[in-house]
Amino acid sequence: MKKVFAIALGIVTAIGGFLDAGTVATSGEAGAKYGFGLIWAVILATIEIILLVEMVGRFTAVSQKTYADAIREKFGFKFYLFPLASELIAESLLLAAELGGVAIALSLLTGISWHYLFPVAALLVLILVWSASFDIIENGPALLGLVTLSFLVGVILLGPPKLSLLQTLWKPPVQQGQFADYLYLVAAILGATISPYLLYFYSSGAIEEHWSGKSLLLNRVTAIVGMGFGSIGSLALLILSAIVLRPLNMQAGTLGEIGLAMAKPLGIVGGYLFAVALFSTCLGAALEVVLAVSYNVAQGFGWEWGQNQNPVQTARYYAFMIVFLLIAVIIGLLGIDPLQLALFASTVIALFLPVSLSPFLFIMNDPAYLKDKTNGWFDNTAIILILLIAFAVAVVSIPLEIITGGG
Amino acid sequence: MNKTGFSLPALVLLALLIWTLAGCQFTQSPFALAVSSAGAEFAAAATTLSYVHSGKISTQYAQGSFVNYRSQLDGLDRQLPSQQGAPGRASIEQLLALYKVAIRAVDDPCLETSCNWQAQVAALNRASQAFLKAAGS
Repeated sequence: MKKVFAIALGIVTAIGGFLDAGTVATSGEAGAKYGFGLIWAVILATIEIILLVEMVGRFTAVSQKTYADAIREKFGFKFYLFPLASELIAESLLLAAELGGVAIALSLLTGISWHYLFPVAALLVLILVWSASFDIIENGPALLGLVTLSFLVGVILLGPPKLSLLQTLWKPPVQQGQFADYLYLVAAILGATISPYLLYFYSSGAIEEHWSGKSLLLNRVTAIVGMGFGSIGSLALLILSAIVLRPLNMQAGTLGEIGLAMAKPLGIVGGYLFAVALFSTCLGAALEVVLAVSYNVAQGFGWEWGQNQNPVQTARYYAFMIVFLLIAVIIGLLGIDPLQLALFASTVIALFLPVSLSPFLFIMNDPAYLKDKTNGWFDNTAIILILLIAFAVAVVSIPLEIITGGG
Repeated sequence: MNKTGFSLPALVLLALLIWTLAGCQFTQSPFALAVSSAGAEFAAAATTLSYVHSGKISTQYAQGSFVNYRSQLDGLDRQLPSQQGAPGRASIEQLLALYKVAIRAVDDPCLETSCNWQAQVAALNRASQAFLKAAGS
């Protein structure tokens, strides 16, 4: 019974925790600008994250080591600094976007400008990472995040899409001059969904929860069912934006606009549901990013770490957490719109994916860690292909978007 | 120089040329991008105002949204004339005239029934259509 409960909780939290500022921003903008023309990217990214989460859980359960531990051990400390640096750059941008997402959600509920609420969001995250246990951080916002399933209700209430919109599924409406923007969104979708922080968080969480070889079923079901169903929120938001916002000439340039797509089928309740969903998913992601990066640094430098430990015993781990949060607050206080920041952070993540995840492929094929549970050819091929796609589209689209002032 | 007659620097230059040419077709001009996103923001503002008066969203939701619309549209009137790809002065002035009326609605949206919110929606829609048209021209 305990095992069934653990599996059910794993699935539910994976579904509720799937979305964040990056996925909300990319899904909303993708639907509003290109109809169903980027659904393929969401599906591709979901397959990739299912594979990666399953792998990292399997790795930790069998080897009893975290991902960061393994990189340092196998490749040495100097090499470890490369993925660490890429993580610090990309995730500090993402954390600022997540805090902005929380602030926007509070703004939509209260009417107060999000600029004033941004420090409140940062303070809320600080209090939670300082005082809450791992279970509360992992499960609390994710359970609240189940409200994202209301996006699916919105889609159902809107009824079937028009044939012309359906055709965008295989013929994306990319006008002349929009191709760089389209590629930029592809990269952002891949980067938003395949965020490496998830792997550090999941791997460290498996240690915090004392996973062993017996946890492999829980790991596989959580990865496949949880992440698979989690992507429904992302797809539903894309479809809502395509059906509601696109005909109104909106491009989902701000997070609040995306919620208008929920207000059409569900009225005033739809707006509130969107705001609560945005709040819970961004809060959950902000907490996970702070923890994941702090875990990564502490494990890499050999410090004591753990959310369930006394802060006095893990002083450096907690001190880094505060410094990292401060960096994100400084980025956020520059006043960049959270949606634009989320898109940019997601594209930067896509650019860094080969640096962040290539070591993982070597580790996953090392029997010294995984005994007979190493990767098969399908896992390896799929991961390499998708990483290369993400990297290629990011390399092409980021300079073009910066040159033209888009993005 | 190798046997085919192409040196490595020449190949790199060729690749850069192809890249630059491809880049020209890949992207819109900065002006087109700016007016396109401004047109979309005005459309969003018009929809938000209509939704709040038809009870589809709360006043707080609209207030929170308008802060963002203002940030997105801030300084556009100063940037437009100097943007690469901008049309002639007459077209810019037409756009700026529409911008001035519409931005007043974004600055001070009529969220109560006591004021003329329909006029604001009409102004926002006019600006949206003109800006989106300018992006395509």
